[in-house]
Amino acid sequence: MERQIINKRKRVFSLQPNKNPNALFARRYVSHLVPALKKINMNKSSLKTNHQSFEKTVKHEVDMAFALSAQEFAWSRFLQQKLLSSPHDDLISTSSSPSEILERSSKKQVGEKYQDRDEEEGGEIKKRLKELQKLLPGGEEMNMEEILSEIGSYIVCLELQMIVLKSIVQDNTS
Amino acid sequence: MGGESNEGEMGFKHGDDESGGISRVGITSMPLYAKADPFFSSADWGPVVNAAGGFSSSHYHPSMAMDNPGMSCFSHYQPGSGSGFAADMPASLLPFGDCGGGQIGHFLGSDKKGERLIRAGESSHEDHHQVSDDAVLGASPIGKRRLPEAESQWNKKAVEEFQEDPQRGSDQSQKKHKNDQSKETVNKESSQSEEAPKENYIHMRARRGQATNSHSLAERVRREKISERMRLLQELVPGCNKITGKAVMLDEIINYVQSLQQQVEFLSMKLATVNPEINIDIDRILAKDLLQSRDRNTPTLGLNPFSGFQGTIPNLCTTTNPQYNPLPQTTLESELQNLYQMGFVSNPTTMSSFSPNGN
Repeated sequence: MERQIINKRKRVFSLQPNKNPNALFARRYVSHLVPALKKINMNKSSLKTNHQSFEKTVKHEVDMAFALSAQEFAWSRFLQQKLLSSPHDDLISTSSSPSEILERSSKKQVGEKYQDRDEEEGGEIKKRLKELQKLLPGGEEMNMEEILSEIGSYIVCLELQMIVLKSIVQDNTS
Repeated sequence: MGGESNEGEMGFKHGDDESGGISRVGITSMPLYAKADPFFSSADWGPVVNAAGGFSSSHYHPSMAMDNPGMSCFSHYQPGSGSGFAADMPASLLPFGDCGGGQIGHFLGSDKKGERLIRAGESSHEDHHQVSDDAVLGASPIGKRRLPEAESQWNKKAVEEFQEDPQRGSDQSQKKHKNDQSKETVNKESSQSEEAPKENYIHMRARRGQATNSHSLAERVRREKISERMRLLQELVPGCNKITGKAVMLDEIINYVQSLQQQVEFLSMKLATVNPEINIDIDRILAKDLLQSRDRNTPTLGLNPFSGFQGTIPNLCTTTNPQYNPLPQTTLESELQNLYQMGFVSNPTTMSSFSPNGN
């Protein structure tokens, strides 16, 4: 009974989907991603079936859809340029397993903490800004103000992207 | 030598009239004369000396420390009367133009005093006395006088006013506006409202230790913009409400962005594994609560192009479900929790790294 209610609650839609920016982004994202994935799917048999390269391709498409769905922001343009200019092999932070991903992040954090303790606050902030710059596509060319502005939209879009990806994965695994 | 003690006392007395913020103790403890030379030689003296001299009318002399031989340079400015000295000021101030305005700001007592200093030629004699007293007070070493409240008052004081007024008459209104903004945020202790600046003088407030020119003002505006953005980001990143301090906040942001990126990577890998059977129902995805109106107050900085976001969306169904329910507002996290419970994510342990604390 409860589950029905929950399901029903989920089945609500907006009359004006374009007004909700979340829905707008999601719509665009899906519209970019799904055809790309289908195309990959179709080409899969013709390409070498190396799982890693396939993953990279998928990741590339995921990032591409991400960048295309948020054209209003500077970071999306940077991301697009990066994706278009670099071949699939050179993609950002590609790793092949979740455990590696987590390892990488934890190592980074520990290293940062050791360094930060010794520096004064201005230096600490600068270090962190540099880290942020690396994380944000196009961050190297922005100054601090711009980074802070862009980071907000980047975070929101990342979250939305995650929602869409999760739902895609869920719909297809269950 | 007696002169100095006299000056100190006078400064003391006048200081009482002004505001309570100045540490007068420091003055008496420090013979002005002894310090006159080092102060004098340092650039810090200059504007104070000039200002006091410039502002005061002739009567000012006898009352002041200016009699102090160490301050003989002061005599330059005496002939300048109230109206005339404004013109003299730039010339006289230029040699000292590069001194740290903030330090000079130390010298001047309170906001009130500073403002009187600003009002060239208009204040009464008493004000001049007080001004000159302030200059005398200023003669005392900076280090001794530091009461915290005096400091914060000094933060409001701008010797740069003296320096810049003649040069920047045209920018007056603009800078005053900037100063109003920054003053409201910075000026906690001084309850005094800003007096209307006279035409030749701009009320600008420099913080202690900053260069007294337009660069510092621009920088301050910039810094305020930055802190405002940090506040918006604080609302965006979960769990950052109690954090104060830029460095820690930036840390949290970095961790959050990293975790988000990792999760996207993870999901894309999962997507790769399920890719062959993709069958996506767009409507179903968009139907997720998560994409509808959110509880969290999304800052407009990120979503300016997406106008009209903040309102609740009318919830009506399409043909997939004729039922009509008002959509309860949920936060992203709680929705994710629900999704975990419903077996949405097959690997919740990795997904738990979603929250910043999880990393």
